Amino acid sequence: MPISGGCTRMSLLEVDRINTLYGDSHVLFDLSLRVKQGEVVALLGRNGAGKTTTLRSIMGVLAPRSGQIRFDGKSIGGLPPSAIAGMGVQLVPEERAIFGGLTVEENLRVAALTAPNAWPFDRIYQVFPRLKERRKSAGRTLSGGEQQMLAIARALIRDARIILLDEPFEGLAPLIVRDLVEVARNLAAEGRTMIVVEQNVTAALSFANRVYGLNNGHVVFEGTPADLSANPGLMRDFLGVGV
Amino acid sequence: MPSWPALVSQAFNGLALGALLALVSSGLTIILGTLGVLNFAHGALFAVGAYVAFVILQYTSSFVLALLGCCGVMLLLGILLERVIIRLFYDRPDEDQILVTYGIGIVLVECLRAAFGGNAQRVPVPSWGRGATQLGFLIYPTYRLQLIAIIAMLLLGLYLVLYRTSVGLVVRAGIENPAMVGILGINVRRAFLLVFAVGVVAVGLAGMLYAPVVAVTPDMGANFMAQSFVVIVLGGLGSFPGAVVGGLIAGEIISLTSAFNSSYSEVMLYALMALLLVLRPQGLFGSEGRV
Amino acid sequence: MKRVRPGGLRACLPEFAVLVTLVAAPVVLPHAGFSTDLLTRVLNWGLIGLGFDILFGLTGLLSFGQAAFYGAGGFVTAYLLVSGTLGSVWLALAAGTLAAGVFGLMVGWLAVRRIGIYFTMITLAFGQMAYFVENSPLSKYTGGENGLPGVPVPVIGFGQHAIRISAGMPMYVLFAGIFFIGYVLARRIVRSPVGAVLKAIKQNTGRVAMLGHNVPAYKLAAFVIAALYAGLAGGLLGSFQSYMPPDAFSLETSGQLVVQTIVGGAGTLIGPAVGAAVWLWLRDNLQLIPGLATLWKLVLGIAFIVLVIGLRRGICGEIFHWWNERRDLAALRAAEARTAAIEATGDGVAVEPEHQAVDVTLPLAAPATGNSDIALEARSLARHYGGLKAVDGVSFKVRRGSIHAVIGPNGAGKSTLFKMLLDEVSPSSGEVLLFGDRVTGAGVSRAAQLGIAKSNQLNQLFLNLPVRSNLRIAALARRRGPLRLDLLRPADSLPEVEQQVDAILKLLDLAERADTAVHILAYGEKRRLEIGMALATSPNVLLLDEPLAGMSPHERVATCAFIRDIARTRTIVIVEHDLDAIFGLAERITVLYEGRLLADGSPDEIRRNQAVQDAYLGGLHAHEPA
Repeated sequence: MPISGGCTRMSLLEVDRINTLYGDSHVLFDLSLRVKQGEVVALLGRNGAGKTTTLRSIMGVLAPRSGQIRFDGKSIGGLPPSAIAGMGVQLVPEERAIFGGLTVEENLRVAALTAPNAWPFDRIYQVFPRLKERRKSAGRTLSGGEQQMLAIARALIRDARIILLDEPFEGLAPLIVRDLVEVARNLAAEGRTMIVVEQNVTAALSFANRVYGLNNGHVVFEGTPADLSANPGLMRDFLGVGV
Repeated sequence: MPSWPALVSQAFNGLALGALLALVSSGLTIILGTLGVLNFAHGALFAVGAYVAFVILQYTSSFVLALLGCCGVMLLLGILLERVIIRLFYDRPDEDQILVTYGIGIVLVECLRAAFGGNAQRVPVPSWGRGATQLGFLIYPTYRLQLIAIIAMLLLGLYLVLYRTSVGLVVRAGIENPAMVGILGINVRRAFLLVFAVGVVAVGLAGMLYAPVVAVTPDMGANFMAQSFVVIVLGGLGSFPGAVVGGLIAGEIISLTSAFNSSYSEVMLYALMALLLVLRPQGLFGSEGRV
Repeated sequence: MKRVRPGGLRACLPEFAVLVTLVAAPVVLPHAGFSTDLLTRVLNWGLIGLGFDILFGLTGLLSFGQAAFYGAGGFVTAYLLVSGTLGSVWLALAAGTLAAGVFGLMVGWLAVRRIGIYFTMITLAFGQMAYFVENSPLSKYTGGENGLPGVPVPVIGFGQHAIRISAGMPMYVLFAGIFFIGYVLARRIVRSPVGAVLKAIKQNTGRVAMLGHNVPAYKLAAFVIAALYAGLAGGLLGSFQSYMPPDAFSLETSGQLVVQTIVGGAGTLIGPAVGAAVWLWLRDNLQLIPGLATLWKLVLGIAFIVLVIGLRRGICGEIFHWWNERRDLAALRAAEARTAAIEATGDGVAVEPEHQAVDVTLPLAAPATGNSDIALEARSLARHYGGLKAVDGVSFKVRRGSIHAVIGPNGAGKSTLFKMLLDEVSPSSGEVLLFGDRVTGAGVSRAAQLGIAKSNQLNQLFLNLPVRSNLRIAALARRRGPLRLDLLRPADSLPEVEQQVDAILKLLDLAERADTAVHILAYGEKRRLEIGMALATSPNVLLLDEPLAGMSPHERVATCAFIRDIARTRTIVIVEHDLDAIFGLAERITVLYEGRLLADGSPDEIRRNQAVQDAYLGGLHAHEPA
């Protein structure tokens, strides 16, 4: 890899000045970010700031009009989602997209099909014991929390090298959010690379190493959670909090 | 009021017709469910299957060979159609997909007409299927019983493929959400090719198996296609169990009605569809899903 | 501002061209292999095609069952004549056409409930049903597979002066006359308010309903019109060949009509006739060439596939498209250049250093109904999706003439709540009252008629229509009511509607863009038009769903000023994430959190509310044990 040349701390994922349009509206403007191996990065910002669009651009669901996306030094811009997933990038979409007619186990099997280092089911069930109890249930009968667990489990079973979590806690009861945060913390502690988009700032900051603040499709802040907490003005400006 | 033996005999006819419709419709419904394409060439492909049987059985008397040959020809035809034409249409509106498959249907039927003429051809009943079988108080043509059995096995095979294999898993997931299947690392377009080919094989085999019972003409598939539309509306679009159950219901309705008054047999089927549209528009097994 | 009021000779050019062609055809075309009989047949297909094009080309509903109405009209006419029930061919034709229309009403009532693939399958199935009904249960009347021979030809005049319209040229003249009248009528329909609504339905059905038009009824109207044309053509067929064939009912017939329409060009009215000319010419002339006799349809099928793949507009469509493009090229380039200029500055608005309040006294229907002080009231609204409670018992009141904001973190249930306010989503329980009238359960178009309009978070515009037409379709809704079949008046002939459209164009600062197709507009302009669409229905309560989404800071300021202007004459409810904008605009704010009402009060009260601040910081914060 020419890029990796003398670089000791190479980024696993590099998003370089991408511009993405959603329908007829320009959502991302020259947006750049980097994620290092083993890092958990939180993307924060108001609704419409472009967080989901960023994740969808990385996954190849939306094609950026310009700019570069490199994963592990290789350019992935313009590839179809299946090819990007094949390299180890895995989106857990906001709407979860569980296959309702398939059982929990079948959902996991679909996910594992093309993964070279797929986890055994037992390892998944250790992370999410609840899914083991429900493994024969159809996806559409799961509660919101269980669906979210399954959605994350589908990324884990693929042993994804980077997991893109889009609003994992949205619409869930506080107790379930706490469980999921616990899971996310453990994954972070194991060194799994993740990007998390979340409105629930406290939850996201509890396991993120680094934060990007987005506003109107631009990066307006980059720093650690501590930097952010130390700066309530920033919180207010781009999260709309406090007023 | 018809006699009991006549009724039972018609019920068997209904089973045979229903099984056939189930096979035709399951091909239609998995293509629709996965690819989102309503295949208007389905009737023509039914006729192609029948003509393949006609040709092969002219050179050999082996029905099994004809069955295998039919599988092979239909598979190739399905792959060819998907690669050359259908794949251009995944991102185009429904109506364009309908129009192009209708055009494919015209071309296939006219090719058959050019090659074999418009006259009806006869396909012999296989040697082991001749004569009639005594079923209690009823004497029933042997081949029709075998037809039911063969189709039941084919449907079982399709069921096993769909519900017991990885490929089937991808297809069922793809029927629900093709985009998510892609996000999970599976090349959806390759799965589409397979599904289209399997659907074509299913309808081709149906045409082949039915060939000995009816006159084989280039247009023979049109009415089956119309009926299989009714079947998948009954069963719910994209639902394999819906296609099977819907097919059997449709077959029995047509046959049993004709035991009372044959002129109403087909009409009843469409009347039932009208009724269902009012009462349960998503079909027996359907969810609102893609439609 | 330039307004070209279409009229005079230029507007009648197509009619004139068709007339000339009809007169010239029997003189010129026989040399090219078109016999008079062939031309008559072409016109018969062209006549069904006129109706079918209104259904398919205009409204976008692909029916594969038109044979049912062609056959029904044909057999009713033929039976009445052959059985001697009616002596006059004209009366029988009228009866047959009417019968086809009634049959169309019944089939259409079932079919228009479904869209897309479903609609096509259902029409095909009913076409087959008609075929079987003709073939067996009714064979006593229809002759079953034999059809009805001996259908008489029409007679003009009485007694000694009567002229029998015999085969050949007289029959051609009759068909040409009827086709011409049919064409003139069809063009009137296309240009009527009904035609405008149908065209809009093809582009965005959901928005048409949201504006207050009764979409299923309009679709049904298009279906019946198509059935009437088909029925008339069927009746004429029997007279023309003095025999009514059963294959008028066949699936082939429906399919042939579809193919001819695509080949000739859908949405052009004459396309189906041109397609029929191609089809019938190929059939009659390729058969004369040795070796090709059986292949004519194969050739046609291949050509059809190629057309669908590459030249989807068909023969006439491609010609008209090329013609229009050449004619409008300069205007199109200018419009695109303007869009590029607007997008380059990042602003969708002309720079106004100081905002001047625009007079929004629009010539609209009197806004407020009732004299209650509460414009809109939500009473314990709830919406559950399976186990998920998206909205859980929310009540609030919107004071008349105020700007009322609904805010909350993502997933709070704002958009679901908003959709329930105009019955786009029906609540699991609870109700919405507009000036005391119940909106809930009425459906979205009824709600619009009652006076609630919404501008959407994602633009829902008719992209291929000009700005003015977009606004006109909106303005027509409450002016004409949910359904009116004013088929013959031009769509732009309602002065109050045109005045209203002009006023809104001005208000939106889009007057110069009135004749530009919407898809060419800059994003900011589209956002303004989205609000303008809702406003053009002259609602009593205007719901704005994230009106500032995707706008530049400058556009935001301009849009906020614009919203304040509107608020002087009507009540506004707004959902928006730009809290700074909200606190500047709203007189009262309702805060949702996890589907429930968290707070409701003035901006100052909300600003100070600790629970609201916690909610925005994240749920964990509030719930975590200390």
